[in-house]
Amino acid sequence: MRVTIKLFATFRDGRFKVEERELSEGCRVLDVLQSINIKPEEIAICYINGKDANENRVLNEGDTLALFPPVGGG
Amino acid sequence: MKFESRYARNKKTLNDEDQLKLTNSCVAIVGCGGLGGYIAEELARIGVGRLVLIDGDRLEVSNLNRQIMATELNIGQWKVEAARARLQSVNSEVKIEVVRGWFEEEKGPELFRSVDLVCDALDSRQGRVILERVCHLMNLPLVFASIAGWFGQLGVSLPGDFSVSRLFGHGEEGVEMAWGNPAFTPAVLGSLSVAETVKLLIGLKPSLRHAWLQVDLLSMEFERFEIQ
Repeated sequence: MRVTIKLFATFRDGRFKVEERELSEGCRVLDVLQSINIKPEEIAICYINGKDANENRVLNEGDTLALFPPVGGG
Repeated sequence: MKFESRYARNKKTLNDEDQLKLTNSCVAIVGCGGLGGYIAEELARIGVGRLVLIDGDRLEVSNLNRQIMATELNIGQWKVEAARARLQSVNSEVKIEVVRGWFEEEKGPELFRSVDLVCDALDSRQGRVILERVCHLMNLPLVFASIAGWFGQLGVSLPGDFSVSRLFGHGEEGVEMAWGNPAFTPAVLGSLSVAETVKLLIGLKPSLRHAWLQVDLLSMEFERFEIQ
């Protein structure tokens, strides 16, 4: 199945901005994170198709996964 | 010197009625560093009648890169006192109240007693969540913003929305710890905060309720995300 992965802010550093990937059925967010070397605790916001999700969610064909690091300065 | 034409260039954008609403408003700015300094500067220039500045820190040399209230002459001063001095020279018609101390949950009712709106300019994710809780209990609108390196996030949380706790409730320390903050990021995010603040004060609908703006100054992308 095809899933679009969008990275934001510092997550793009040394990775990519947006990428479409062919994943196996039953693949979870956690598997994607491992493949791009991001730890779950580094994630502040995880959206699938514009809605809140967590790393245990199973991805489906056509999903868009968006990942944001914490931004906390003032 | 007379300053009757002070707001002349605001006309068309803000009519006399809007300007009067701003004059009669009070905004608390929680944090008076990078973001808070620009927010205070712009709210004073636009003529918000009363500002409450809250920060428990003193100016350091490392603040000079981005904090508009910091100069080589006032290092060591309380940030809120340095801000008051500058703001009074910009607009003496604005009443400036300063709190030389950190925002704490139990101080909320006292600090925000006669405030119409709160601007978050804190540098802690957890602090923002607490600030939103206090604003919710006191029925106050909150404009929140955060920055790190080239990046920022901004939104509006009205009582009951809890947008901040949904956005800032997870994850480790922000990437600003590693990336720092260059001069332009607090200026941009501070200005965006003020635009939303002014809308709320004059009775316009804010643009970023139930949403946040993801600002990326490296790629010059401004993307809006809904909080559903």
